[in-house]
Amino acid sequence: MHGGRVRRFHFARDVEEALSLLAAYGSRGAVLAGGVDLLRSPRGDVEGLVDITRIGLSSVRETGGGVAIGATTTLSGVLESQAGHDYAGGILPEVLRAVASLPLRNMATLGGAVVSAHPWADIPTALVALGAEVRWQGEREGRSLVEELYRTPFRGLFRSAVVTEVRFPPWNGAFAYEKVGRTRYDIALLNACCGVGVEDGRIAWARVAVGARPTRGERLPWAEEALVGRVPGEPLWNEVRRLVEERIEVGEDRRASGEWRRTVAGVLVARAVARAARKASA
Amino acid sequence: MKISFELNGELKYLEVDPGERLAALLRRLGMKSIKEGCGTGDCGACTVLVDGRAVRSCLMVAPQVQGRRVMTVEGLGTLDDPHPLQRAFLDSGAVQCGFCTPGMILVAHELLTRNSSPTPDQVREAISGNLCRCTGYVKIVDAVLLAARWKREGKWR
Repeated sequence: MHGGRVRRFHFARDVEEALSLLAAYGSRGAVLAGGVDLLRSPRGDVEGLVDITRIGLSSVRETGGGVAIGATTTLSGVLESQAGHDYAGGILPEVLRAVASLPLRNMATLGGAVVSAHPWADIPTALVALGAEVRWQGEREGRSLVEELYRTPFRGLFRSAVVTEVRFPPWNGAFAYEKVGRTRYDIALLNACCGVGVEDGRIAWARVAVGARPTRGERLPWAEEALVGRVPGEPLWNEVRRLVEERIEVGEDRRASGEWRRTVAGVLVARAVARAARKASA
Repeated sequence: MKISFELNGELKYLEVDPGERLAALLRRLGMKSIKEGCGTGDCGACTVLVDGRAVRSCLMVAPQVQGRRVMTVEGLGTLDDPHPLQRAFLDSGAVQCGFCTPGMILVAHELLTRNSSPTPDQVREAISGNLCRCTGYVKIVDAVLLAARWKREGKWR
């Protein structure tokens, strides 16, 4: 973002004022929360910044086995919350510790991660796997499963709407997250978030999402179907690894080849499903 | 626009451009420990503490610190009276060119504020977003562990 063109900075007092300011600036306004992506963006047209970090959208609360996280909650804020820590076998700390570095986690917000939705990012893959729902306020209140939102041209929506909350549903089971990056704080070359529930010694439900392929994280319904009803164990993990290698759609970019992604996707899914099953059975 | 914030314990009330980066403002105020290395939050040379949290000042605009407490290494210690973390970096040989050192020390400060008995791996994780091109990281990890030991022994002020 070219800071020299910014004419005004506003601390919105509430969501309504933020929306009103955004409407007044039109395409020359921008919502500022963590700022990590906005200030790195190439946008040179921003004249008005609307800071939404002081309007009460920073909270993490347990909701009957699920968790509701305010949009301006920093990733560190989620990591340090009890509700975030306890959810779905501790999946949120597992994912968020894989995101960037401590100072960036102190700045970046969950709402920002939803809206930025970088294809190589860790959080969108987890949001899709976990069945997270995003809520926003624009001209009208809106809500959508993140998975469905990402199938729409959603970026335009958040030029005139403010994300207010992300809700994670309860799961009777556990999730695990696997990522390969070049360094500890690098973006993902590939990532996978998988969850299972185990009942009477068999897998009752399964969620499998793979991201940074290099496209944004999406679920693999055929992999999930292959797991349900089966007995957890090494033979099944090997089977799902081979299945993912055979069927997953991957691409190549300057960071990794498609062949590498295809092979590693199978390994990551098998590892994540196995760990999730161990957690769910514990 | 006018903003007020606390910088190294001193209240500041001053005029800023609304799009001015915090790193630029702090350097304008004489805090030359802050370096703009990458300008994209990746190298850690511009790290400061805001309300005790390590953040990248190159990815903040100045008005965001309205009403907040900002600390740079200049507020930690002096040449004559260095903070134990600074002393530990010197004693461990963790400083060479010095470009990354302020950021390393401030990230370590946040870590040790929350955890005075970190494992070497926890130290490596904490500093993983701060790049050093001179010494390697072994001496830096040693320095943070030494400072942690001094803290546990009650040698921090």
